Amino acid sequence: MARPLIHRSPMPGLGLSAGITLTMLSLVVLLPIGALLLQGANFGLSNIWATVNRPRVWAALYLSFRLSLFAAIFNLVFGVLLAWVLVRYRFPGRRILDAAVDLPFALPTAVAGIALTALYAPNGVLGGFARDWLAPLGNLVFGPFGAQFTGKIAYTQLGIFIALVFVGLPFVTRTVQPVVEEIEREVEEASATLGASRAYTIRRVILPMLSPAALTGFALALARAVGEYGSVIFIAGNIPMLTEIAPLLIVIQLEEFNYDAAAAIGIAMLAISFAMLLAINLIQIWSRRRIGHV
Amino acid sequence: MITTIRISDRITAQGEEIAKEADGRVTIATGLHMLTGWPVTRLLKSAAAALALAMVTLAPQAQAQSLLNVSYDPTREFYRDYNAAFARHWESLGNSAPTIETSHGGSGSQARAVVDGLNAQVVTLALAADIDRVAEAGKLPEDWQAQLPHNSSPYTSTIVFLVRKGNPKELNDWGDLVEEGVQVITPNPKTSGGARWNYLAAWAWAEKNGQDPQEFVGKLYKNTPVLDNAARGSTTTFAQRGIGDVLLAWENEAYLALKELGEDQFDIVVPSVSVLAEPPVALVEGNIANDAQRELANEYLNYLYSPEAQALAFKHFYRAWDTSAAAPEDVERFPEVELVDIESFGGWKQVQDEHFGDGGIFDQIYVPQ
Repeated sequence: MARPLIHRSPMPGLGLSAGITLTMLSLVVLLPIGALLLQGANFGLSNIWATVNRPRVWAALYLSFRLSLFAAIFNLVFGVLLAWVLVRYRFPGRRILDAAVDLPFALPTAVAGIALTALYAPNGVLGGFARDWLAPLGNLVFGPFGAQFTGKIAYTQLGIFIALVFVGLPFVTRTVQPVVEEIEREVEEASATLGASRAYTIRRVILPMLSPAALTGFALALARAVGEYGSVIFIAGNIPMLTEIAPLLIVIQLEEFNYDAAAAIGIAMLAISFAMLLAINLIQIWSRRRIGHV
Repeated sequence: MITTIRISDRITAQGEEIAKEADGRVTIATGLHMLTGWPVTRLLKSAAAALALAMVTLAPQAQAQSLLNVSYDPTREFYRDYNAAFARHWESLGNSAPTIETSHGGSGSQARAVVDGLNAQVVTLALAADIDRVAEAGKLPEDWQAQLPHNSSPYTSTIVFLVRKGNPKELNDWGDLVEEGVQVITPNPKTSGGARWNYLAAWAWAEKNGQDPQEFVGKLYKNTPVLDNAARGSTTTFAQRGIGDVLLAWENEAYLALKELGEDQFDIVVPSVSVLAEPPVALVEGNIANDAQRELANEYLNYLYSPEAQALAFKHFYRAWDTSAAAPEDVERFPEVELVDIESFGGWKQVQDEHFGDGGIFDQIYVPQ
């Protein structure tokens, strides 16, 4: 006898809810990705490889994933810190700050990009500061070691990095925050009474409890950064080989009505993203095994 | 039929309906009891009713007197005025006021939107090549450009330099732009129609001045620190962000920047050679719903050639054809310049494949092949 796809459950409504879930998931997620893969399948694996295996595409992919990774790591550290501060401390303006964390979610990405560019362009407030003060100072200190810093932020890779940090920050903070709220102070007190130092408590008690949520936030921030187009496009100079992100390359292919090449680069990004998210999930599983469920 | 009834405030019951009482209550049989109460509208019924209502309200309005004009970036101001003028003209012909909508964006992406199904009855794009794409998709006849006068281009423009006030780097012609330390702002020719004209103008100058054009445009783009996606983006980068020494711009865009951002900040420099940019217009046959709409769309395009509309084009810094109704100062503004048209490059099809295609000459500037 064939096994039914969905086993009968004592809970009522399983069939209905499973049906709704599967339909929604298919419509919203699986269908578009399927269409992308279908376009790629028609194009052929060797053609996809030929499209991707060009210096300009590699440069764009490398730039996108490298900066996304850096931005996600930056957000991992500062997002966790921010969540901790927002939950554990009481200070004036805390609620406003708490609400402001969501702004990158709410702001249209183009608005964010234009605002960031206006700030960090050489004639903007922060860009001017960087050019007039940071750059001479940096060159004074690091100049003798051969490092050169022009003080340009917008239209360089640094600008892209800042935009990616901006859009990714809420992901880490918002996933970690509820977990910090759940941590009972008694646990820390118990650790202290058992003779652990503060650093030891953080390392062996707090961080293990935070790490699953932090990793999830990290993965979300990374995924968002890889796909980010709207805000980056304004602050990146979009110079091929230097500041051209992979999503822009896809748009350029579309402008040429070259749907196959666009799909090929899309599939390459999908594959790399998938591998990265898989690796993060494996780390999560491994860390859960090591320190148990918390 | 299974019916739900309300027995008291909080209690409802369901069962087979067996009788309707005179006062509107119904009696049901639940299997154990016979119960009588007020029927409750079922959730699904009300949901279905709401859905039906939504369908009715969202149903497309009658299309007869409406028109969508899909245009490119710098025509915003011109078509805002033109739409108002045309509406007056259309009403004076004894018709009711038309609803005319205009959409603006990069010429290439606008063309793609129409190919992908944007319901535009009229396209007014930056290059014939973009309308050719729409024609290739079967939405208008191959010979569309022969349907209206002047290659279907009611107005033309050219490419000029916008420089900082007083022209501190003394950039007077194309040759000055490839000097060391000059920063040139131009959009990405892959995504912007205007940028392709910029590129071709530079190419034409190099050809006429005995330089290797490929090497020349290569040097030009090496001096470009930012490649925006569209002409407006480049204007912003140059004017608002203060990047670069010279902006390669549509002539109308350059005058507009002067007008909007202050004449005390920028100067316009007209190079010795430039291109005759013909932004064409066309009726999208495949998106015409009925004869009334066709008539409206045809008149919309034909009226572009009327003296009033031509005057408007002059006013918005386009080089139009018919000066009869234009203000003299709008016409005299344009200096004489040697203009090269697209045919001297072999037509758009050839230019597109040779220069801007995948791995074409423009790509080779960044990735030597």
